Amino acid sequence: MVELLSYKKFYDEPLKKDEPVSEEITKDCYTVFACRHKFCREVCPVYQELRNESYTSYGFHAALLSVSRGIESLGNMKETITYCLECGACELRCPNTLFGGDFYKRRTTTVDLVRKIRRDLIAENEKPNNWGEVEKKIDQYKKYYNSSPEEIRQWAKDLEIPTTGDTILFVDYFTAFQETVTVRTAAQILMKAGVKFGVIERPGLTLGELYETNFDEWLAHAKETIEALKSAGAKTVIVVNPHEYVYLTREYPKYMGSLPFNVIFITEYVAKLIENKKIKLTTEVDIKATYHDPCALNKFSGIWESPRKIIESIPGLEYTDEDPVSQWYNCCGNGIASFKELHPELSYRIGTSRLRKAADLGVQYLLLGCPHCKDQLSEVQTKSKINVEPIHLLEIVAKAMGLEV
Amino acid sequence: MLGEFMTSILKYGTIDDKILEELRAIVGDENVFTEPHHRAIRASVPAPFPLHKWSEHTPDVVVLPGSTQEVSEVLKISNKYKIPVVPRGGATGLADGAMPLRKGIILDIKRMCEILEIDEVDRTVTVQPGINMQELNRVLEKLGLWFPDDPASYPVAVVGGRVGTGGWSLVGAFGGHVPDLVLSMEVVLPTGDIIRVGNGGGRKIRKSSVGYRLKDLFIGHQGTLGVVTEITLDVFPRPEVEFPAFFGYNSFEHAYENAFKMTTSGLRTLGAVVIFDEEKVEYLRRDDEAYIPQPKSIKSIIATVMYGTEAEVEGAKKRLFEIAEKDGAIYLGEELSEGDWASRHDRYALPLHGRRRSDWQVVPMTWHCEDAAINHSQLPYVRKRWHEIASRYIEQYDGVFDDWGMFMYSNPPFRPWGDYLTEIDIGINELALDEETWEAWVNMKREIAEVVIEVEGSISACHGGTREGDVEVCVRQELKDGQFELMKKIKKMLDPNNIMNPGKYMLDEAYQEG
Repeated sequence: MVELLSYKKFYDEPLKKDEPVSEEITKDCYTVFACRHKFCREVCPVYQELRNESYTSYGFHAALLSVSRGIESLGNMKETITYCLECGACELRCPNTLFGGDFYKRRTTTVDLVRKIRRDLIAENEKPNNWGEVEKKIDQYKKYYNSSPEEIRQWAKDLEIPTTGDTILFVDYFTAFQETVTVRTAAQILMKAGVKFGVIERPGLTLGELYETNFDEWLAHAKETIEALKSAGAKTVIVVNPHEYVYLTREYPKYMGSLPFNVIFITEYVAKLIENKKIKLTTEVDIKATYHDPCALNKFSGIWESPRKIIESIPGLEYTDEDPVSQWYNCCGNGIASFKELHPELSYRIGTSRLRKAADLGVQYLLLGCPHCKDQLSEVQTKSKINVEPIHLLEIVAKAMGLEV
Repeated sequence: MLGEFMTSILKYGTIDDKILEELRAIVGDENVFTEPHHRAIRASVPAPFPLHKWSEHTPDVVVLPGSTQEVSEVLKISNKYKIPVVPRGGATGLADGAMPLRKGIILDIKRMCEILEIDEVDRTVTVQPGINMQELNRVLEKLGLWFPDDPASYPVAVVGGRVGTGGWSLVGAFGGHVPDLVLSMEVVLPTGDIIRVGNGGGRKIRKSSVGYRLKDLFIGHQGTLGVVTEITLDVFPRPEVEFPAFFGYNSFEHAYENAFKMTTSGLRTLGAVVIFDEEKVEYLRRDDEAYIPQPKSIKSIIATVMYGTEAEVEGAKKRLFEIAEKDGAIYLGEELSEGDWASRHDRYALPLHGRRRSDWQVVPMTWHCEDAAINHSQLPYVRKRWHEIASRYIEQYDGVFDDWGMFMYSNPPFRPWGDYLTEIDIGINELALDEETWEAWVNMKREIAEVVIEVEGSISACHGGTREGDVEVCVRQELKDGQFELMKKIKKMLDPNNIMNPGKYMLDEAYQEG
């Protein structure tokens, strides 16, 4: 199990400003420093914009190593450590992961390290510039969480979805309140395919910003979510948001062990329904498109095949593929947690680079598998006017099914 | 003892707020960094680093210029206030070229990464120094073009660093090496003056008889003579076929004899012939899934690769297999050949392969490669001596050093015969370094380099001779017949205040003689 191999318990011990860095963390940083060949640097979407190697996996590990050697103090890393999308490309590209991770049971875990350092710095009251924006976002999500059941289910208005069932469609607060089209489309596709499913009334918060700020609070919410899913009778949980998929499959089991239900991502589920002829794609969708692999799916979860299978089964669609390994270099610019709030301009630059790459392929549409990518790239497209339309691939599936969404 | 003159000339200025303000005015606030971690992470390159002396190599300030003009302005200021400047490209070199010896400014040129022109008719590409070969080839391949420089650091090294270190390409036997591929370039001299050097005055000319060959002066100087800011490179037609083939042998001697036949076969398609010695194969068997399943009888390996048109490679392949099979070599199959060739850039740096001999436990180590140029006739002798030297140090410092075996790569440009880039890979546990073990390390390097001088080789085919341990052998022995004396005169003439990467190649000595 990759996710368990990557869990380094010694990250749980907080770093403190005027205390020595533990021997385990020093060694962990050293195994990246020891390489210094920096494949992690070139694959990093932030590096590709800024060309500053301080903001790379090598940079973070080497900086913390310099703290362990008394050259730097931890507090000085507070801005540097925000320059990470947490897209996971560097961990995959690291030779320690690629060639030695399985053998030595020790892969590079930059994202976990970045989260840890951010959290430990906040605990030490070392907040980076713009931190107010992150706090605002956390407050906003707490408001969502405290909304009435009707408000939380506003996205599903008229769809009449029960709150229990063997199969549960997991809807987080981002898709329930902000990027609602994706999850509504998913629900309609499942219904048309004859899938019986429910949606729980009130999940806990899954928010990455909270995970990196207040771990205990985040974990309490995680437990609440698992409880709610259990008591709704879930045996299978279908997830539409790749970020939530990562929490459910990779982060929660670290702290709570195996979950008492199966977790499946929507594209895996839909691809099966198409294969079993439960979904019939009959309407031609006459467009030229390419596909953007979301970081949380491609780099964290190894899911890249099912979206392509779905796309290739859409009648009329002319598809140009960019292979998933080349897409390790890509990110929409949103990042997994606080990146966009802290670096809005850089986030926009990364987004425009992604859209330009798609435009270079001569396509009209960039198909997406993640509501965050859709939110981000739609915004970037509106501002930049780059001539490629970002659209979630479920919307195309719905069209091909003849669904009105 | 330093003479009075020496003390005055080597006294560098201090970077104060005023100088920082001037630097910021040139490159912008966002491109000047003074916090310790930004500086500390730019103290080292992948070569073994004296972690116990990290601060000594940490620069005072990091500057990220964006244009030739900015580089020139930064050098003018450095020259005016006598501040050392160390250019840093991909920082993947193995000769410490980008490691500061006298602190000062790190001039990190990776922001300058544009492709300025692709000339499909005269077959050149003009680039800024901060672009890497993979980025460049991604663009060139769409036009059916190829820049054939292929070091182990292919996806991470940048063109400027390749020029500054006089880089060597794994497929040089087919496509030449960096010095063969640079047609002309723009260089900022230590005084801030901007010049263009080429073959004569030509920008895209490949051979000229005009003037001194000054271009060569700015290839492999390790940042001691200036900063390259624009480079015009030769580009090749993208080969129709790339064909790697790996063969197994029952001993090093067996592989060595067969390599001679391969390299002298007259096959123009050969891009590389690489011998893996017995210690290297043993090392790969530790935990490399491609090599663990190989039969025990395979003790040594030759990797080859061919490039050319389909017709050329088809014919050459048959000939190569005849040469191998006639000598009893075993073809290791398509999967290993293609897989290992494809991952050649990735798998050479794996800190976790290090072992402590006493209990065979994993010790995270970095990788050092001593990369001499050695004639074919001398390979068995050098191999024997190098392993003996390494064993002696490993015995004394178990868990600090490890022997990861040797590779021998065909070395000359555009032909595979005659001499080899010969490397011994030594694992070194930097976390365990102290004065004593560092001294032992430097001594080991010195002994390894001295074997090279004994057989009239050159102590580096691709990295440079600038590292502690190497540099003394390089300057005092390899370059002793007047070459080092001339280097010092050139250095002093171009860099009157010794600001460019001071201390490298012991060129400080140029300023001692008044």
